[in-house]
This record gives sequence, C-alpha cells and structure tokens, in this order.
Amino acid sequence: MSTSTILGTLDDEKAPEAPTRRRRRRASHNVEASTHNRGPLWTAAGYAGMVLVVLVVAVPLFWILITSFKERGDIYVRPAQWWPDPATTANYSELTTRIPFFDYVRNSVLITSATSLAKIILGVISAYALSLLRFPGRSIVFLVVIAALMVPNQITVISNYALVAQLGWRNTYQGIIIPLAGVAFGTFLMRNQFLNLPGEIIEAARLDGAGPMKLLWRVVMPMSWPTLVAFALITVVNEWNEYLWPFLMADDESTATLPVGLTFLQNNDGVTNWGPVMAGTVLAMLPILVLFLFLQRQMIKGLTAGAVKS
Amino acid sequence: MNEFSRRGFLGLAGAAGVAGLAACAGTGTAPSTGSGGGSSNTIEFWSNHPGNSKPVEQEIIKAFEAANSGLKVKLVDAGKNYEEVAQKFNASLAGGSLPDVVVVSDVTWFNFALNKQLSPLDELLATAKLDTSDYVDALYNDYNLDDKHYALPFSRSTPLFYYNKDLWKAAGLEDRGPKDWDEFLTWAPKLKAAAGSDKIVMELPDGSNYLDWVFQNMVWGYGGAYSKEWTPTFSDPNTVKAGTYLQNLAKDGYLKLSKDPAPDFTAGIVGCSMMSTGSLGGVAKDAKFPVGTAFLPTDGNCPTGGAGVGIPANISDDRKKNALTFIEFLTNAQNTVTFTQATGYMPVRKSAVELPEEKAFLEKNPNAKTAIEQLPKTRSQDNVRVLLPGGGARIGKGLDQIVQGQDVAAVFKALDAESQQVFDSQIKSKLGA
Repeated sequence: MSTSTILGTLDDEKAPEAPTRRRRRRASHNVEASTHNRGPLWTAAGYAGMVLVVLVVAVPLFWILITSFKERGDIYVRPAQWWPDPATTANYSELTTRIPFFDYVRNSVLITSATSLAKIILGVISAYALSLLRFPGRSIVFLVVIAALMVPNQITVISNYALVAQLGWRNTYQGIIIPLAGVAFGTFLMRNQFLNLPGEIIEAARLDGAGPMKLLWRVVMPMSWPTLVAFALITVVNEWNEYLWPFLMADDESTATLPVGLTFLQNNDGVTNWGPVMAGTVLAMLPILVLFLFLQRQMIKGLTAGAVKS
Repeated sequence: MNEFSRRGFLGLAGAAGVAGLAACAGTGTAPSTGSGGGSSNTIEFWSNHPGNSKPVEQEIIKAFEAANSGLKVKLVDAGKNYEEVAQKFNASLAGGSLPDVVVVSDVTWFNFALNKQLSPLDELLATAKLDTSDYVDALYNDYNLDDKHYALPFSRSTPLFYYNKDLWKAAGLEDRGPKDWDEFLTWAPKLKAAAGSDKIVMELPDGSNYLDWVFQNMVWGYGGAYSKEWTPTFSDPNTVKAGTYLQNLAKDGYLKLSKDPAPDFTAGIVGCSMMSTGSLGGVAKDAKFPVGTAFLPTDGNCPTGGAGVGIPANISDDRKKNALTFIEFLTNAQNTVTFTQATGYMPVRKSAVELPEEKAFLEKNPNAKTAIEQLPKTRSQDNVRVLLPGGGARIGKGLDQIVQGQDVAAVFKALDAESQQVFDSQIKSKLGA
C-alpha cells in the first residue's frame, strides 16, 4: 500500500503527460484501500480465492513436471502418485533419442526469433507511419490492415500453401518464416499506443529539429517500452507455439519446430507413453519461461522509467 | 501448453498479413501431369508413422533402396494422426507438390477417391503383374469403390476384447471372453460384486473417440447394421435392440464412457473394454495385473480399422509406377511382419503368419495371437460410418445420447434421416460418375 501511495504522489507531481494512466492508478489505489478496510472474513476469502487460482494454474504444471520424472508404470495408477517414486531421468534421455529433439529446438529458436523480430520491426515501423506521419490515404491503409486482422489464418492457409509451394519453398526456413512475418495485430496495438502519447512532446521534438527516425528512436520508443515489451512477449510465445503452418510446410526435422516434433512422441493408435511427452513439454516450456521472467522485469522497469522521465 | 495457443490470434494476424499477396496467387495453377513437384526417381512417402513406427518405416525404406537401385524414398512427417495427413494432403492438392505415396485411413480415403484425387490401383497392379489375392480379403476390400481399389492395406487394426484376469478370477468366471453380449449380461452382476463400488465393470471410448467403431460389433451381434450398402438401417429392429442393450448396460451401472479407456484399464479401475489391437503393446507394458484378450463377442462380427496407403491421381505415370513398387514392397509378407511386430498392427498378408519369425513371435505373445486369429473373422464396416462425410462423428454423437438415456428409437430414427440426407446431397451424384 505504501509503494502505491508514493507512486501516486510521484505521478501527481511529475507525470503530467500521462493523465489516463494516473487516473487509472488512482482508481485502483482507491479500490485497494476499500478492500483493506473490510473485515477479516473478506481478507480470508480473498486469500482463499488467490490460493484457488494459483492451484488451478499450478497443479497441471506441477503434474507435467512430476510425470516427466516418473517411470512408465507409475503414470497411470490409483491412488495418484504426487511425487515420482522412484524418480528417473530416463524420460529425458528417451526424449532425445526417440526424436531428433535438438534439431527441433534449433528450428524453433531460429524460426521464432526470425518471425518475432520481423513482426516487431514491421509492427513498430508501420504503426509509427500510420499514427505520427502524415500522408494521403493513411486511414485507408489502416483500415486495410485492420481488415486483414479479421481473416482467420485457417482460410488463407491453402492459398498461402499454393503460393509457397510454387516458389519451391516447401520444407525451407523462408517458406515457414515469410508467410508468418506479416503483422496486423502489432500495427494495431502499437498505433494506439503511439496515438496516446502526449502531442506536446512530439511537437516539441519536431520543433527541436528531430527527423522522423530520430523522433521514433529517441522520443516515441522510450515512452512506449511497456507496450512494446508486452507485444514482443505475446509475439514470441505465439510464434514458439505456432503449429498449423510449420506443420504444413515442414517435411522432416530439417525445418520442423518443437510443437510439431513433440507430436511424434504420441501414439496415434494405442497407448502413448506420456513420460517423454511430458519431459518434452517441460523442456519446450523452459525457454519461454526464462524469457518471460526476464521481459517482465523490463516491462516494470519501462513502466516506472516512463513515469519519472520527461 | 503447446496445445494451448497453437492457433493464437497473432497467428491469424501473421497469415492475414500476406492475405493480399496470397489472394493474387489464388489456389495456383492446376498441377499438370508430372508438375506436381518431385522427381520421378524419388518417392515421397507421406506418413504419420502409425503406432510410433518411424524407425521401422526407415528400416523398410533402407531395404527397399538396397533392392531397387536408382530409386530413393523420402519419408515425410505428414502429421500426428490420419486427420492431419489428410489435411496436409488436401493442402498439397490445392497447391501442387504432391506426394507419391500417402497414408489414408479408413475414414479419409473415400472422399479423396470420390473426388478422383487418388489413383485407382487395379490397372496399375495389373500392368505391374502384382497379385493381390494374398492380401487379407476384408482388409483389401475396404478400399473398394465402384469395383476399383484406391489403396492397399498398411497399418490395419481391429478392436479386441481386453479383460482383467484377476477380476475374472475373483468373480469366479472362466478365463475367456464372453461368447455373445447376452452372456456378458449374465456375467456383469458377478463382475460388479467382485470389483467393488469404486470400480467399473466395462469402460468404452465415448462417441467422439470411436465408440461408433466398437459398437459396430454389438450391432452386428444382434443382427442389425448401420446400413445395408448405402441405405441407413438404424431403425431396423435389431439395430434398435443393440442400442437398447448399450443403454441398459449404462443404466444398470455396468458401463462408463471415457475419452480413452486404456489408462483406466491399465490402472486396474476397469474390468474390461473393447480397444484397438494397437493398444496391445502399451497396455501389456503398463498394466500391473495379467491382461487377458479375447475375440469380440459373437463370431465374425469384428470391424476392421486403421489405414492403408494410396497414390495421388495427378502425378506422372512413371511416378505412379515407382510408387506402386514401393507400396508392394512396404506391404509384402516379410515387411508387414516386421512392421506389425514393432507396432501391434495386423499383418495384411495371408502368408505372413506362415513365416518362421511370425510363428516364433506369436508363440511368445499369446495376446497378439488372439488378434491375428480374429483377423479372418473380420468384416468391412458399414458404409454409413466410414464412407459418409462425418459418418463416424454423427453416429458417435447419437450413441452418446443413447448412453445418457435418450429414447433409442427416436435417436436412431434421426440418424437414419440425417445419414440419408448427407448421402443424397453429397455422395449420390458422384457415384458411378
């Protein structure tokens, strides 16, 4: 409660450029204060609710983790085993021997970084043009981009396939990356963020002689880090988990990504040995988890940096 | 986790971003003969590696390349299940770069054949002077449309009756499966008493997971059928009788449906089930009690299942010829034995059981023997389930409703009408064309 008060006063004095954010924070501050005044019963209920939510999220993850260390015969037993006994790492070694796991990891990392990078750059640049630069037909271009957002990819997938196959790009990195690199969501999100920036600062920068690129890098971007980081995070997670397109394009482990590769551990007709599948899931989750923890810090940093600067 | 945001909305945005560009491409120029990509000496084999069979497939391919110098086989990961292979094949039909050999399941082949996207194999087989009489008849004839065959059997399975031998002993029953479903009904109370209240006598997959496949056995067992040729016969009194039997099993607390009965069965919670022969290896490995297997109740009423391999229609004759050479090799007696021993599928050749290594294998695996001995007693499934678009799902949904207690006659009557309507609107005009 005390930190939020301090932030609140900081906002009051030093951040006149973000009225909406300040108002929101103040409102949430008030809500917080009022819940704190309620009786212990409410507090207990609040904690119970939080514990429930944590359990709902954490138990399946915990189950994945312990299953990845169980022996095959211990996975389906009643009563359920809540701790692997005896614990084994055999599932992990089976995972790396039964499928070319590290090839899939390499492809996933390459494809995810390339598509994410392309999406982020395209998103920022196009949003910048559509929000802060003036040129004829701007709103029409924006409408077209938004319209593209409405077309589900299951519909475009066949025509994309035809195009890429004719280019001879099946089972290649560029065949997977380029059709995925187009971005409408990022344009939309970043444009709205840029439009929310106070016009006075942009104007002041222009008056001081900042060119379009300088304006973007030195003025607009520093104020937009939190949104950009959130956008980057969503993009990376989605690219990492992307299934349909890489599955259609990839023929073997030379280009297939992790989500595609892991399915080959499952048995389509018969009994799947879930140990290696869970081990693969754990390993596929780790990079994203690390990235998330790292970016989350940046996100908060960006948030406070924006509040005290200017 | 991977399942979760696979089709996340950013993905939509991504593909949509190039939608304008792709729209110009349309669905591409129709692939003219031979331009389906690929060279005529490399055979592209699109497979989902049924039953985790990738290493075996590679082994067979190696042997094939050694025996046929000049021909190469490229094994392509075409999906995790038959539906995904069909999806990928569909995309390639629109966009070119067709495979040479593709895995098609009992449910997916027909639509491709009907739309002339698979080659009829009979002429190719005749030109290559290949004899098909060694294929198990019921399996070979599963791919028959207008007296032409559109695929050859590859990874074929049948359901089996699995039972927990410990429970059977506790209930004082003979160590065998029931002769027919009426006999099972006399056993059920004993099994229930022996099992205790927290266990289930019988668990079957639910309607979204092939209940309609194993229920085919009950229907036939009572003299009914889903259809006679193309005429749906759900309202036939015998079919209704089977439906009522299923409903009563559930009503009396003997039957439960689940997404996958195998885990419950291997955990020892369930007394018996009807599951694919493909589950045999896994169940035997996981279960901590002796597993018994038996023929499905009533003789000669076991449906077939699984997948075959076909050849796309729009590829050059040279490629077709090579593809057929490969298919023949893939499914010959020797290789069908290699393949099935590694996976739990059925050998698709009659002569396979005569091979010494198969004899030795069956000696050691009595449960696999049950499955193979049942093979001559199998019967091709009713058209309405496997050949009508969405047939399996439609029947499965109806069966779910029955198990939940809806009126059997009414549900089956609706199924009759729906199936007839789908046939009239989607199949009838294309038949014999």
